[in-house]
Amino acid sequence: MKRPVLPSFALLLALALPGLAAATEYTVQPAASTLGFSGTFQGETFNGHFDKWNAAIRYDAADLTQAAFDVTVTLASVKTGDSDRDGALPGSDFFDVAKFPTAHFVTTGFRRNGAQVVADGKLTMRGVTKPVSLDVKFQPAASGATLDVAGVVQRLDFGVGGGEYADTSVIGADVKVTAHLQLTAK
Amino acid sequence: MKLRSNAYRWGAIAKAFHWTIALAIIGNGVFGLLMDLSRSPMQKINWLALHKSIGLTVLALALLRLLWRWLDGRPREAPAPRWQQWSARAVHAFLYALIVAIPLSGWWFNSVTGKPLQWFKQFNLPALAEKNDTLRHFAHGVHEYLFWFLLLVLVAHVGAALKHHVFDNDNVLRRMLPFGRPRPLPDAEGDRR
Repeated sequence: MKRPVLPSFALLLALALPGLAAATEYTVQPAASTLGFSGTFQGETFNGHFDKWNAAIRYDAADLTQAAFDVTVTLASVKTGDSDRDGALPGSDFFDVAKFPTAHFVTTGFRRNGAQVVADGKLTMRGVTKPVSLDVKFQPAASGATLDVAGVVQRLDFGVGGGEYADTSVIGADVKVTAHLQLTAK
Repeated sequence: MKLRSNAYRWGAIAKAFHWTIALAIIGNGVFGLLMDLSRSPMQKINWLALHKSIGLTVLALALLRLLWRWLDGRPREAPAPRWQQWSARAVHAFLYALIVAIPLSGWWFNSVTGKPLQWFKQFNLPALAEKNDTLRHFAHGVHEYLFWFLLLVLVAHVGAALKHHVFDNDNVLRRMLPFGRPRPLPDAEGDRR
C-alpha cells in the first residue's frame, strides 16, 4: 500500500511548481525582432529580411530537452533593397509563393557543442524538407529574454533559384540566416 | 615590327592598343544595345556581366594607352591644310576622351543602379556613387548616347583615314594598319629630312 505514495508526491510537486518541470513559453515582440538572411550575387554580399513571420519559442537553458522553436515565414514579405531581386524572389524560379507561400522551421532537438547550444531542426520550403541547424544564443533579461540564432541554408537543397539560376558562380549556394528575437515570457 | 613609334609610323604597341580598343569598344557597344534580345533574365544577367567586364578591360587599356602615348610619342602629322590638322586633333581628342568616358559612364550607371561590378567573375570593384533610383534613367542615357556620339566621331575618323589613303595616297592609314608597310612616297610623308 505504500508504493503509490512516491509517484503521487512527485505529481503533486509538479502541479504545485509548474515552472520547475516545463520550460518557459515566450512571446515574440515583432517591432524589436528581425529575421534576416544574406546571400551573394556576382561576388557581392546582399542582405535581406522578412517582414512577416511568427515564432513559438519555448526555452529553458537548464533543460534543453524542453526547448522548442516553431517558426513560420511568409515568403512574399521578402525585402533585399533591390527592386529587381525583390521582384524575382517571390516568383516561380525562387520561392514560388503562389504554390508555397510559407517556409516552416521546427526544431527536432537541442544539443551542446562545447559552450555553443545548437538547435537541430527541419526546414520546409517549396515542398522540400531538409535538416537545418542553428547556433543559439539565449540571454535572459528582466522582462523576458533575447534570442539570437544563426545558421546556413543551402538554397539549392530547396530548389530556390533552380534551372539557369543554379549557377553558383553568379548566385552563391550558401545563404546565411540570422534572427534576433526580443522575447517576453507568457 | 618595331615596338615603339617613330616619326613615320606607329609602333607595334600603339597599333595593338588602337585595334584592340577599337574592336572591343565597338563590339561591346553593339552588344550593349542588343541586351534586350536575351531570352531570359539570367541570360541578361550574364550578358550584362560580360558587357561590364569587357568595358572595364577597355577602360584599363585606354588608360594604359594614354600612358603609352605620352611615353612613346607619335608620328609626324601629314601635311594638310590647317583646318584639317585642327579637325584631326579635335577628333583624336574626342576619341581618347570617349574610350575613357564610355566605360566610366557605364561604371557610374551601374553604381547608381546599385548592382555589383565584377571583372570576369575574378574580383569586384567598388561603386563610384551611391545607389540613386532617380539618376538611374539619366545615367543609362549618358552611357548610351556617349556611344552614339562615338559612332558619329568615328564617321569623321574613318572617313578621314580613307580620304588620306584613297585620295591623298599617303601613309596616314598605312602607318596604323596592323601589317601595313608605308609606301615609298617621299613627298607625301612630309618633311623627311
